[in-house]
Amino acid sequence: MPLWWPLLLASVLFAIGVYGVLARRNAILVLMGVELMLNAVNINLVAFDAYFRDVLHSGQTLALFIIVIAAAEIGLALAIVLMVFRTHGHIDVDDLRELADRDAV
Amino acid sequence: MKWVVLTMLLLPFATAVVTLWAGHRSEVATKFLAVSGSLATFGLACVVAFPQLGHADPLVVTYTRTDSISPAIGLAANVDQLSAVMVLLAASVSFLVQLYSVGYLHDDPRYPSYAALVSLFSGSMLTVVVADDLWMLLVGWELMGACSYFLIAHHWELAEARAGAVKAFLMTRLADLGLLFAILLIGERTGSYRISQVTTILSNWDTSLPALLIVIAVIGKSAQFPLHSWLPDAMPGPTPISALIHAATMVAAGVFLVARMYPIFDADALTLLGVVAAITMLVSAFYALVTNDLKRVLAWSTVSQLAYMFGALAVGAWSAAVLHLLAHGAFKALLFLGAGSVVHAVGGRTSMTAMGGLRERIPDTFVTMTVGFGALAGVIPLVGFFSKDAIVHAGFDEAKHHEILDQPVAWVIFGAMVLTAALTVAYSMRAWLRVFFGPVDPDVEVHESPLTMRVPLYLLTAATVFGGLVFADPSRILGERAEEDLFHGSTAILMTALVAAVAGLVVFLWVRYDGADPWPPPVEELQPPEDHIYDLVLVRPIGALARAVVINDRDVVDAYADGAGASARGLGWVLRLAQNGSVQAYLMVVVVGAAAIAVAAGVLS
Repeated sequence: MPLWWPLLLASVLFAIGVYGVLARRNAILVLMGVELMLNAVNINLVAFDAYFRDVLHSGQTLALFIIVIAAAEIGLALAIVLMVFRTHGHIDVDDLRELADRDAV
Repeated sequence: MKWVVLTMLLLPFATAVVTLWAGHRSEVATKFLAVSGSLATFGLACVVAFPQLGHADPLVVTYTRTDSISPAIGLAANVDQLSAVMVLLAASVSFLVQLYSVGYLHDDPRYPSYAALVSLFSGSMLTVVVADDLWMLLVGWELMGACSYFLIAHHWELAEARAGAVKAFLMTRLADLGLLFAILLIGERTGSYRISQVTTILSNWDTSLPALLIVIAVIGKSAQFPLHSWLPDAMPGPTPISALIHAATMVAAGVFLVARMYPIFDADALTLLGVVAAITMLVSAFYALVTNDLKRVLAWSTVSQLAYMFGALAVGAWSAAVLHLLAHGAFKALLFLGAGSVVHAVGGRTSMTAMGGLRERIPDTFVTMTVGFGALAGVIPLVGFFSKDAIVHAGFDEAKHHEILDQPVAWVIFGAMVLTAALTVAYSMRAWLRVFFGPVDPDVEVHESPLTMRVPLYLLTAATVFGGLVFADPSRILGERAEEDLFHGSTAILMTALVAAVAGLVVFLWVRYDGADPWPPPVEELQPPEDHIYDLVLVRPIGALARAVVINDRDVVDAYADGAGASARGLGWVLRLAQNGSVQAYLMVVVVGAAAIAVAAGVLS
């Protein structure tokens, strides 16, 4: 299997993830975009690991780390989303602008 | 004796503080403190002064001095014959003024501050006349300027009082710079600020410039030409204050300073002094001739008489000048306190058109003021006659022998003296006739003044009548500095003839115009033309300059500061547009930026 197949797949997934993060209004879908980007990186790592026939399999090890961190991150992020929903009644990131620099009312 | 002098200097200042403290707590206590404080000062002044009169050695004491700077500045007193008589004059007139003010300002709400300032004023004058250190003298000198400012502005609700006070302050302060520079120069050239040393080591240093600077200082302080117009404008102040300023303090300090520093005056300084005096005595006598306001007439006459003293000093008649200063102190205090009594009687108006025929209605004031006017005009045997005589004779001597001045200058001074003597008689007669004679205005309610106001008048009248006895033997007072004989029969006869002739002329005009003003002035209240010149040359350009500075500050300097602020604010407004709160927008910037950098790196490598 040539190397560019998994690289192409990873690129496509990463691009979709970036689009999801930048363009979706629903916070859950934004998080899904983040997951897509992380996993695109994972594919890259595994693909290069196989390609270079690394004896220590450092690519696969790093992919495992990322999976763990992604799980922790999504747990924290969903908790935040839940809190946002409780306080605001919605999870539309376009309307969450409390941190904007405005004139004091 | 050393500590008595210091106590005498400090007592008026303490009185001022205590009077202010008592203030409105108790009216009786304030009046008692003010009068008894000045009486005690007068008592101490007598103790200090009498042993120093006549052939006594000057009392020179140093209390303390700075060791750290050279020449040393010290707290030092020097009581010689001149200081002694000035101490007596200042303390006695201050006491009489305090006594008189109890009646004159009996229902004035600002009496406590007034009484305190009068005490402070007399304390400053005593400091000036006793001081041996020039800096100590300057302190008293400036304090007097401040006190006169406050007292002239006593009725600060009146615009003219405020304006007069500011004018007096600015004009005297301007001239005070002369004294300051003179002191610095004297210290520089002699290495000492002590008057007793400076005036005795003459051969070693050049005195001409300091003497000229001192002349400038006294021109301002004693209201001489061209700074003469502040004194008449100081008339809105209470009348007793005018008596104090004109008779014993402030303007007298100018004459005193010249008399005190007399050894350092050379021909140049004396010529300047003489010319200024000649101009001043004539100009101000003419003003007095055509002024309607009684107090302003007296003010102009003070300017004229001070010029007489300076003229005497310029022609070398030191003791005649000092004695005229004393005589003038007595009869001018009398005239002003009498004028206060007249003003009090007619209900506060000062214009002579409101007076007339007061002879029988306020007889005590009439008699005492007649004596005062007589002394001013130089009627024998009142004190003003003798002192003026001595001065005129000295002027004639100098014009004939010209030992100090150039002969033309001496003749000009002598001519001005004689002409001024004639004019003095004319304006004294006019004021006297218009106030006490002529038609009675029946609508004006007239009442004689209270006893506290009349007693000072009697005392000053006694001094004016019997003061001439001093001229029998002046050395009993002034010691060896007195010239031999100050009385000259020929001058006396000629001057008496002059007085009689002018007085006769005025009475003739008075009768002919049927009791009206003998020479009605063309304008109601004459404003000196010099004031217009000052207004045109100084006040308006400075006002315009001040406005230009304001415009420059507001429209140029402030514009830079405002511009810096506005540009920072504008930049901030642009930058805060990015902070819109949308996290996705921020991320977009990051992503696009990263992509742009990546592309650039690819292209450039």
